[in-house]
Amino acid sequence: MMELLLPCLYAFLACLGFCVLFRISGPGAVFCSLGGALAWLVYLLAGPVMGGNDVLQYFWAAVFLSAYAEVMARVRKCPATGYLLIAFIPLVPGAGIYNMMEAALRGDTQDFLTTGLHTLSIAGSLAVGVLVVFSLVRLQRMLQRRKQTKQGDEP
Amino acid sequence: MDYDKLLTLSSDLGYHLLLSGAEIYRVEESVQYLLTAYGVETGEVFAIPNCVIVSLTAPGQKPITRVRRVPSHGTDISRMEDLNALCRRLCAETPDLDRAAEVLAETVERPSHTPVAVELAAYVLLTSTFCLFFGGTARDAFCGGVCGLAVGLVLPFLTRLGSNLFFKAMVGGFCCGLLAAGLTDLGVGEHMDLIITGAIMAQAPGLVITNFMRDIMAGDMMSGLVKLAEALLTGAGIALGTGVALSLVNTMWGVL
Repeated sequence: MMELLLPCLYAFLACLGFCVLFRISGPGAVFCSLGGALAWLVYLLAGPVMGGNDVLQYFWAAVFLSAYAEVMARVRKCPATGYLLIAFIPLVPGAGIYNMMEAALRGDTQDFLTTGLHTLSIAGSLAVGVLVVFSLVRLQRMLQRRKQTKQGDEP
Repeated sequence: MDYDKLLTLSSDLGYHLLLSGAEIYRVEESVQYLLTAYGVETGEVFAIPNCVIVSLTAPGQKPITRVRRVPSHGTDISRMEDLNALCRRLCAETPDLDRAAEVLAETVERPSHTPVAVELAAYVLLTSTFCLFFGGTARDAFCGGVCGLAVGLVLPFLTRLGSNLFFKAMVGGFCCGLLAAGLTDLGVGEHMDLIITGAIMAQAPGLVITNFMRDIMAGDMMSGLVKLAEALLTGAGIALGTGVALSLVNTMWGVL
């Protein structure tokens, strides 16, 4: 239990630090950081289900996080950007890109390609997760708008 | 209506949105909505992370265009939220253009400055918790915090001097590497690699690469490629800085 919760606590605190740097204040900061912690929990919980395939784990975490961001944006009536930026920081492959370039500078092409492809696939699966939710939300909004204009035309 | 003023207003809005770190689609849509709200159906807007171009053709006149270059910038979510709210208000109320420009100037001039001490505390908090997050011990977290403090002192200073992305990443990486290696050699830190990976998270190179993927997949090819270059440059800068620092410490340790 502790090995599940402790990383989430760390993720929460790290996000809180980034909230200050990106100038989010008040309750928004807490909700953003909570998103980061919950997304990491989703990532960890998806581990056994996905059979240890971390690219898929990242995908589900991203889907959860974007849904969370959209809900929070609706509830708090502000853009989802802040949530998508900050809560993503524990998920994004920052260490990956560092290791990749470090391998390149060492001249280790094999290691560069391995870590590079892994980093790119993590970034790709995160992006797909975000875009799936984003597109669905847009679609629903468009349908709603069309319905409203139709109703407006009828009477 | 004075179309010049409308062009100025909309391009300024786009410029300030980009400057606050808004996504490309948000900038383009906001400007487009604003133009449409003021009755211009022929407006076009094109934005990439460091430039925004707005063009419109007023009825019976020549087309007019304005280009605004956006310097390298940080992220200021609270300003972006303000600007977003302002854009909605302008679209809904469509006030007089002079009045609208005034309101925009007011929103932009509102100071949004975090005290230096709070900012430094944030750097320390996030680097030390990332060390723990990656599996470091409490002592590693302490070293990570020290590295974060150094990065937090150096980065804003370099930003104020207007140095470029690559150099900033390199200096940041150098500080992290030097302190991490030094502290580990002195016996304070236990896992040097974990301290370094935790400390470089302050520069968040991973965010850029995820945003690059998102832009490419969403169809914003140009801005996606700009961001890819940014991510690779940042990554390479950090790695280079760290590498130099590590070899320097190794050499010195050998001599001493």
